[in-house]
Amino acid sequence: MFQVAEVEQAGIPTVSMLYQDQDECFVQAATMSGSPCLRRIHVSRTLPGPEDVDGFLPDLLDALVRPLTEEESSTGVLKALGDQRILFEGTLEEAEKVYNEVETITYLRYSPPIAKYTDGLPVVIPTEEKVKEMLAHTSHAPDELIIHQKDHGRMVLGMGEGAKKGSPVLFQPVKRTATVEQVAVNAVMAGCKPEYFPVVLTIAEAGGGGGFDGRGSQGYIVSGPIAKEIGMNFDVGIFGPGNPANRSIGRAAELMWRNFGGNVPNVTNCGVMGAPLFNCIPEDVDSLPPGWKGLNEEYDYGKDGSIIYVMNLGRGGTTNIHRTEFSPGGYRAFQKSGHGGIARRLGVKGIPGPHNFFEYMLTELWAGREGGITFLMLPQMARHMYDLGFKSKDEIYEWLQKKSYVTMKEYRTHSWPDVQTNAWLGIEPTSGKPYKELPDDYMVPMIADPYDSCIIVTGGGEEYPQWLGARRGAGNLAYSIDYWR
Amino acid sequence: MVEKTYKCLNPVGNQAIVDLKPLAPRLDTLDGKTVVVCINAGGDQDITIPLLKVLPERYPNVNWEIKRKFGFSAELTEEEKKTADAMIAGVIW
Repeated sequence: MFQVAEVEQAGIPTVSMLYQDQDECFVQAATMSGSPCLRRIHVSRTLPGPEDVDGFLPDLLDALVRPLTEEESSTGVLKALGDQRILFEGTLEEAEKVYNEVETITYLRYSPPIAKYTDGLPVVIPTEEKVKEMLAHTSHAPDELIIHQKDHGRMVLGMGEGAKKGSPVLFQPVKRTATVEQVAVNAVMAGCKPEYFPVVLTIAEAGGGGGFDGRGSQGYIVSGPIAKEIGMNFDVGIFGPGNPANRSIGRAAELMWRNFGGNVPNVTNCGVMGAPLFNCIPEDVDSLPPGWKGLNEEYDYGKDGSIIYVMNLGRGGTTNIHRTEFSPGGYRAFQKSGHGGIARRLGVKGIPGPHNFFEYMLTELWAGREGGITFLMLPQMARHMYDLGFKSKDEIYEWLQKKSYVTMKEYRTHSWPDVQTNAWLGIEPTSGKPYKELPDDYMVPMIADPYDSCIIVTGGGEEYPQWLGARRGAGNLAYSIDYWR
Repeated sequence: MVEKTYKCLNPVGNQAIVDLKPLAPRLDTLDGKTVVVCINAGGDQDITIPLLKVLPERYPNVNWEIKRKFGFSAELTEEEKKTADAMIAGVIW
């Protein structure tokens, strides 16, 4: 429940401070929590703080004492959704018009249309026949509710919600539930082939496209034999376009975000730039160096187990993929014969590899961020690390953590620690001392736990390291696809 | 020729009925009352620092309790609810 509503419903008057552009999202969240009229005032994105406070303070305090209006004193019921199994009956041409309907969103600048049932593109019409074909590829009953198969802690930094094994998946942001058949409807619309369906059901268990916070902040990796069985692309162009499995499975996640999560920008989701990464990609477990474990093994599902791993796409509703720039051929020259700028930086000019390319990247990995890192690593780059002596991914995670230390002087110049340190009033965990008492030269790790980092061996072609945010803390990030077969 | 018709299924998920409740009764005055100001520790300090400065200066008869917490939404524990007369939810994102 929206916690402010919980306080109000406990009989304690509240007033919330928010930005005007977030107002409709606030109202929607309040309504879903049973308190549609929660009082709020708008603060400014641009005015200096003292001037802003002078302006809003009278209204802020008045909201706690001003008598309730008739509307604020009334009760009511928000009607249920989901009892209409058939959306439309008619010809396919007529159906296309229904499924491609849009609504004008006045809460967005210039009031653009947003699709009611889709991602904005035409979809395959989910006739009973097509949905039945999809359902034939799972042993689960059509009316079975999508349920958490494991416990999930509250997500990283206290944002998002936890869940207990056996509880229904509440799709963010509006927390609807869904059945196996409803997932099949969205899979058909996305263009999935029926054999992809267990993967789509697993993504549903993982929260669909909305992710843990309703902002589309998670992407999906398939690890295990099913990736090859359904013809996923492991090589050049994993993020698309072109491969039906990679693309349509990702699209199904996006449709679930709309239809189960109720996602409408600036109405139910106050994210930022959105989440353009709607391709599901496979881990290339067959190309791992000897002894390196695939994600399926890392999470104890074994080599023969197929799983979805939830990848962190970044905070705040904006996909965040970085790339360290190597010139064309620059990486190969560095490894083969010690030529080029990478070799010069690392002091191995003229010395053939293997060399540790991470050494070249260290200066940028934590220049403007903190935490572990997820690397999308080409097989040949993984092999170089193996040949260099890293006989497991864990050894790289531990090495990276040791290399992540920066001075307190540097740490104080980062943005997130302002909140992660309880406004610098908290205790620094490695020293046990208050942050404010630590000298400038005290070294603090930017990766708290080595295993916050993650290596996913996949892709092909030119050697670039691409990297994203850490594994997400308290959430259980692996979901069994085999359960949904 | 009559074109074939199809039953097409609804992609929208299930949402239970939500009972909509009235707001809590407002206070007759803030004087002598305990008002918890729940802010996001370290976030939007350009607003919260001057706010926390002026509240006791301009309204000295109110018992202001400041709760700094990093989170997604302002909230009170069951213990805090026992003594709070009102809450200002200053967790701004």
